[in-house]
Amino acid sequence: MLRKTLFSGLILSIFMALPAMAEYPSKPITVIVPSKAGGSTDRTARMITEVAKMQNKGFEFVIKDIPGSGGQKGFEAISRAKPDGYTIGLVFTPQLVAHIVSKRAKYTLDSFHVIGNVAQDPAIVVVPKDSDIKSLADLAKKAKKSALTVAVNGIGSDDFLAAKAFEAQAGVKFNLLPTKGSTEQKAGILGGHVDAAFMNLSQMIAQHKAGDAHIIALLSEERNENLPDIKTSKEQGYEVYMTATRGVVAPAKVDAKILAKLDEILAKVVASDEFKAKAKKGSIYLLPKTGADYLDYLKSLQADTQAVYDKAPW
Amino acid sequence: MPKKYVDRALLLFFIVMAVLLYLSTASYPGIAKTTSAYYVKFLAVFIGILSVIQLLISLAKDIDYTRLHLSEHMPRFLGLLVSLIIFGLVFEHLGFFISAGIFIPLVALILGYRNYLTIVITTVSVLVFVYLVFVKLLSVNLPGLS
Amino acid sequence: MEYLGIVFQPIALFTIFLGTVAGVAIGGMPGLTATMAVGLLVPFTYTMDPTMGLMLLGGIYCGAMYGGSIPAILLNTPGTPAAVATAIEGFPMSQKGKAGLALKVSVVASFVGGSFSVLILLMFAPMLAQQALHFGPAETFLLALMGLAGIISIADENSSLIKALIAGLLGMIIAIVGTDDMSGSLRYTMGYVELIDGVDFMPALIGLFSMIQMLELAGIRKKHEIDTSTLHKKQKSDPLPKGISKHIALGSATGTVIGVLPGEGATIAAFISYNISKRISKTKELFGKGNPEGIAAAESGNNGCVGGSLVPTLTLGIPGNSVAAALMGAFIIHGMIPGPDLFNEYADHTYPFIISLFIANLVFLGVGLTVAPYLARIALIPPAILVPVVSAFAVLGSYALNNSVFDIYLMIAFAVFGLILKKLGFSLEALILGLILGPIAEGGFTQGMIIGKGSPWIFFESPIAKVMWVIILLLLLPPLYSYFKHTTLVKAPDAD
Repeated sequence: MLRKTLFSGLILSIFMALPAMAEYPSKPITVIVPSKAGGSTDRTARMITEVAKMQNKGFEFVIKDIPGSGGQKGFEAISRAKPDGYTIGLVFTPQLVAHIVSKRAKYTLDSFHVIGNVAQDPAIVVVPKDSDIKSLADLAKKAKKSALTVAVNGIGSDDFLAAKAFEAQAGVKFNLLPTKGSTEQKAGILGGHVDAAFMNLSQMIAQHKAGDAHIIALLSEERNENLPDIKTSKEQGYEVYMTATRGVVAPAKVDAKILAKLDEILAKVVASDEFKAKAKKGSIYLLPKTGADYLDYLKSLQADTQAVYDKAPW
Repeated sequence: MPKKYVDRALLLFFIVMAVLLYLSTASYPGIAKTTSAYYVKFLAVFIGILSVIQLLISLAKDIDYTRLHLSEHMPRFLGLLVSLIIFGLVFEHLGFFISAGIFIPLVALILGYRNYLTIVITTVSVLVFVYLVFVKLLSVNLPGLS
Repeated sequence: MEYLGIVFQPIALFTIFLGTVAGVAIGGMPGLTATMAVGLLVPFTYTMDPTMGLMLLGGIYCGAMYGGSIPAILLNTPGTPAAVATAIEGFPMSQKGKAGLALKVSVVASFVGGSFSVLILLMFAPMLAQQALHFGPAETFLLALMGLAGIISIADENSSLIKALIAGLLGMIIAIVGTDDMSGSLRYTMGYVELIDGVDFMPALIGLFSMIQMLELAGIRKKHEIDTSTLHKKQKSDPLPKGISKHIALGSATGTVIGVLPGEGATIAAFISYNISKRISKTKELFGKGNPEGIAAAESGNNGCVGGSLVPTLTLGIPGNSVAAALMGAFIIHGMIPGPDLFNEYADHTYPFIISLFIANLVFLGVGLTVAPYLARIALIPPAILVPVVSAFAVLGSYALNNSVFDIYLMIAFAVFGLILKKLGFSLEALILGLILGPIAEGGFTQGMIIGKGSPWIFFESPIAKVMWVIILLLLLPPLYSYFKHTTLVKAPDAD
């Protein structure tokens, strides 16, 4: 019995290991999500694969969540994956480049072929509902008088980088409070335990609409259609821009034909009305970018992050 | 080995660890110096003091010579432990189903079980159950099923 | 009333039933947790009717919280950390052949605690959530201290207090491995990527309890050490012990209150209500030796967290724990953003969901009462079959949590070193408590220090903090007093 199991197992594994000689794809494509199941990156991935499956006959996808370490484990898994086109993955910024900058990552941007960007979540500055801070100018003025306690989601996160950029521009110094996640930031703002927080739009939009918290600025150049009455940082005279992007990449050495096919699939998915409708319902803000554009963005983000890191490493 | 020696060695280890831990907090960067470092120092001091007290108590009443028995039946105990470690080592290469398919009957045999039918039925039902619940229902990606 | 109509459709009832039973099974298996199950199933509810999907997940949540107590009682292998206190009392009862009664107490307590908390959720959610907001990092730190006070109650009379404290501190020290949240730098990770997030408590829990239990079972010379004589007889139903309702009521209230507060409440709630229960019990000396009162308090406490944790989740979008966070994902995926909207615009989804939690509690009560007598027969399975199966699940569970082989090794390492510690008289319950509560305590402490701009005064400032200090002292002083009265330091028992 034992022998038999062993033997049949061996046969089975040989068959499974046989390379896909025939037409691509001959088996399901694994999509690595460097985050936990049910989170926003995971949801984005599932929306993409669902639409991609409908649009492309013969394509099947399996989601593999690799949570933890700010995505590092997952990013490394994508870069290490066999470049046969059967493993692709999602990445998110600024963590993707922050790990490179802090010299922890076992990958570089060259380890990936960038397929394209899909979604974003712009950074915001939010204050408790009864705060007398109504604008970025108020924030800077008050911070000059006394150190304001400002919650960010961990060191090296988009919130942190945005807060640092704002500090530099306004010439102030915050009493920065790193939290373990947006949940703690929310609790801090809603309970009035902190003076302000740098967060992402999707995390606070409901609380803002309900009047439990007050978003004072969107850290981008253009207003967001979901909350059109919030002024951008540009309008308020601060050139502090930050957004958390979520894109799709493949390992670098995949066959060019397969990569072209994957690029095409993603472009078609993000352009479809179906995907747009799903994204709207699931509170995912779209920001489609081609692979080349997204790579440029990643490179410039890496340079910016490097500058912050060089001043105060973590 | 008498239990008390293991006990004392362990307490000594805790004391050394406490000292090293305390010293390591000096290298904490930035804001951690006035926050996390206090917390870690507190833990180090506390465990260090308690370990010293416990060590003194142990030295003071020097009568206990009972041996440290990890198990009554060492071969079976070690058999399970070694199988477990091998299971862990081959897990990613052979996949869950093949390695568990070997592990379960093997451990049953090591533990002296000889009812082969029960072993087979148990092994198969565990594998089927895992397949249905983990792979089909929860779609956990178990290695060995690509 | 229309909401009741939604819940009582046959398809809805079936969904709740399915979810709850699956939840009990998930909670009962070492290595499968409600967080994992809900997280993994959220994407599937995406294609379901929103209300049905939520009911399914709610059922899993309720079921799993109860399910964790079953293996804790029968095999001393708590399926969730919240069931560790249950194992302390439940397993000794099983060894005395009273598994049936222990299971019954557990299911009734779970039901009362769960239902009570859902009732509170239904009636007072918005008001309670506003109160919970006063709870800042400083208070979180004190809450963790209250939980850690449980170490003293694990220790007192029969094992060494000093060793229990050392074990608890060791757990807290293991928990500091990983990223320092304050500076973002890595502490003691020795270059392992897997340690960046620190040591996960699930592999530790599986190693320290399930795996050690299996290693011990494997090495037992006698065939049956558990008294199984009562199991062969037709089960006559043991009546619930007298005076137990007091402990259930206490646990339900404690659990609900702590559940509302942010942080991983269920473990803290179980230990705090266990601890209080021990203080007020008339049969203190039976604690640790199989006192059903302890099971009642711990189980009503951790199930009380279910409804409690949903209070801030639904009203404010601040999930009370990791399961609630995963559940929140299920709301968001259907475009229902937690907040007041849930109770107005989406009321026809939210209220049926809350009502369905009552049904889920009823379902596991029914399942528990009918199936428990048969479950108790698990003791009749030969160890040679039980050991490999549970071990395989232990490995699988450790892996599946993070898709990480590293966690398997971690689990085995915890089992081996834990066994040595156990044989030397160190309390593993204290170790796991330190491991789970350490990060909560550290987070509360460090954040409190920052908000207080470096002054520790913040931990004494607010009225809530003052009340909590009083409770902490009440939990600590009496046992310490009686400990030192009974034993001078030098004569301290060496836990052999």
